[in-house]
Amino acid sequence: MNVHTDPLVDDYLRRLDAAASTLPTDQRDELVSEIRDHLQEALSQTPPGDQAAVRNALERLGSPEEIVAAAADPAPGQPAGVGSQVNVLAIASVAVAVLWFAGFGAVLALVFGYRARRQIKDSAGTQTGSGLATAGIILGWIGIAIVVTAVILIALHPNKSQ
Amino acid sequence: MSQLRKGTLEYCVLALLRDGQRYGFELVRTLSETDGLLVSEGTIYPLLSRLRRDELVSTSWQESEAGPPRRYYQLTDAGKRALADFSDEWARFRDAVDALVTPQRRAGR
Repeated sequence: MNVHTDPLVDDYLRRLDAAASTLPTDQRDELVSEIRDHLQEALSQTPPGDQAAVRNALERLGSPEEIVAAAADPAPGQPAGVGSQVNVLAIASVAVAVLWFAGFGAVLALVFGYRARRQIKDSAGTQTGSGLATAGIILGWIGIAIVVTAVILIALHPNKSQ
Repeated sequence: MSQLRKGTLEYCVLALLRDGQRYGFELVRTLSETDGLLVSEGTIYPLLSRLRRDELVSTSWQESEAGPPRRYYQLTDAGKRALADFSDEWARFRDAVDALVTPQRRAGR
């Protein structure tokens, strides 16, 4: 049977492709095409419309999420840090947060920090530095709190300098 | 247990390729039907992809008698070495664990 005509298979491959959106593009394409070929092979002797056989083949594969999790895992015996890079934005976030720049640095630190965290999450283990990014974010909020406090204090004592 | 399975599975894949090339579906079916390994077939493909990126296996597309071409996997020299190293290590590891976990009658009582 041709798997491209089976709605259960179509649905499964769509879920796999969606789950694999966290992987690098070439890995994602490769994975989906391997699984498609696998199903083609598994169901090659199956008459069209044999739902039980299709369900069985899909069950043996495991859930799309499980497959993607296996792809995102660092290689066994290889710690996550090996071969991975520290995200540049995470470093920048901490740097501008520390420099502060009268509050502008704090805003930049938040922008960089949140963006760095998303990039690290999307990198499927090839980037590290989420701790740094979080530090940048916390420092950024502290920086903003300082600016806000200063503004409130100045507003409450408008005549102090006169 | 699942960590142990995951760590050894890649060498099971290499071992299946010791006697020559195989295509993905054949490899995956053999592993999933091996009693006690308990793997979902789909999770083996990411493993194959990683072995290829680590250059322990290489792949080639070949025509099949029926149907579309198949991707065949074969061991590289680095893969053969990794398998040989693991086999030695594994034999020692297995014996050591066996000696500890197998109940034995104490001698001298």
